Amino acid sequence: MANNKLHLRITTPRGILLEQDITEVTAPGKEGYFGILQGHTPFLTSLGPGIMTVYDNKSKQEFSVHSGFLTIDNNEVNVITNKIEKPKEIDKSRAKKARERAEKRLREQKEETDMRRAEAALRRAVARLKVAK
Amino acid sequence: MASLKDLKARINSIKSTRQITSAMKMVAAAKLHKAQDRIMNARPYADDIETLLKTIINRNTQEKSPFLRNPKKEEVDSIAIISINGDKGLCGAFNQRINKKTVEIIAENKGKDIDLICVGKKGYAYFKKHKPDLIKEQYVNIFNNKEFYHSTEIMQLVANGFLEKDYDRVLLVYNEFKSAISQELVKKQLLPLQEELKTQEEEKPDRFQAPYLLEPSATRLLTDLIKSNVDIQIWRALLESYSAEQAARMTAMDNATDNADEMIEDLTLEYHHKRQENITTEIIEISSAVEAL
Repeated sequence: MANNKLHLRITTPRGILLEQDITEVTAPGKEGYFGILQGHTPFLTSLGPGIMTVYDNKSKQEFSVHSGFLTIDNNEVNVITNKIEKPKEIDKSRAKKARERAEKRLREQKEETDMRRAEAALRRAVARLKVAK
Repeated sequence: MASLKDLKARINSIKSTRQITSAMKMVAAAKLHKAQDRIMNARPYADDIETLLKTIINRNTQEKSPFLRNPKKEEVDSIAIISINGDKGLCGAFNQRINKKTVEIIAENKGKDIDLICVGKKGYAYFKKHKPDLIKEQYVNIFNNKEFYHSTEIMQLVANGFLEKDYDRVLLVYNEFKSAISQELVKKQLLPLQEELKTQEEEKPDRFQAPYLLEPSATRLLTDLIKSNVDIQIWRALLESYSAEQAARMTAMDNATDNADEMIEDLTLEYHHKRQENITTEIIEISSAVEAL
């Protein structure tokens, strides 16, 4: 593979969202962001809430991802997720409200609030807003 | 003998019934078409999750997950059954078949703890009447607006139950969509994972197969994967069942329409006979009256 290409496929329960050759992808793993180039070792990880960016030479596409899995094997990248959105599908005002709600919950730190859930909600909302703009 | 007026009324009422059944048939056909598209869309996702799961289990064989526990048959003492029905009737034996099969499974597992998770109004109504103490949870009227979170909810329920050892087995009973004219009753074991998943060899021996690098820990990944797998399997079953229901309704309504046509034909014939008869009697009456004069 002289052309530095990876083959990317994004699969969701609603169908295949994207299938194309790319040069690089960065994605939000549960343990932090990572990037993948051609020749990566076989790797499997679950995705956390964040922004996935797909590069093809100079062009770039962004998606907001909430959960799912990413595998790479033999230069084939498979993203399997049930929660992924393209920028134009994102409802900005809803995401803004969700961010405010999550921030409020985190600020108040009441005992009954599930901090982990609030944090995840905040991260989701922030990722959505970043992709949408 | 029915009078002419009665016959006319019957013919009219059958005609209007026929209109309804034929409309229902067309509606079912349209819904079936849509549902089939959704199954097609979900298929690659389901296949990918399953392949991934197989690969991990076979390549990284040393990994353990609480989901991989597999109690022996005689040690099983609690079972969760997810029974998927429709929300509406008028679709032949569709709902009865599921209920019958579920009752059968319950009978087979006599003496064990059984929790029923009823999806669909028809199954829920049936078991509420016959075995109300077994019902753990019911999901009715979810077919109008099927979204992925429904299957996720059910998945959480059974997966957590399995992890906390409330359930030793999780079974799924539903109608699978085979074709527009046939549905097949399916009983599937969701948890623990079926043996076939574990023993199957990867079919790419020419390639070097390194174990995957896993992140985060293998146990957490496996747990996530198995959950996703159960999730998509339930989702798929919901879609399959919905398609099968529409197909069953289509067939049932088609038959009903045919029957109505037949009845209308018979009754019209009878009506004509009767009318003829009445005219003949009238003519005889008139002519005999004339003769008598």
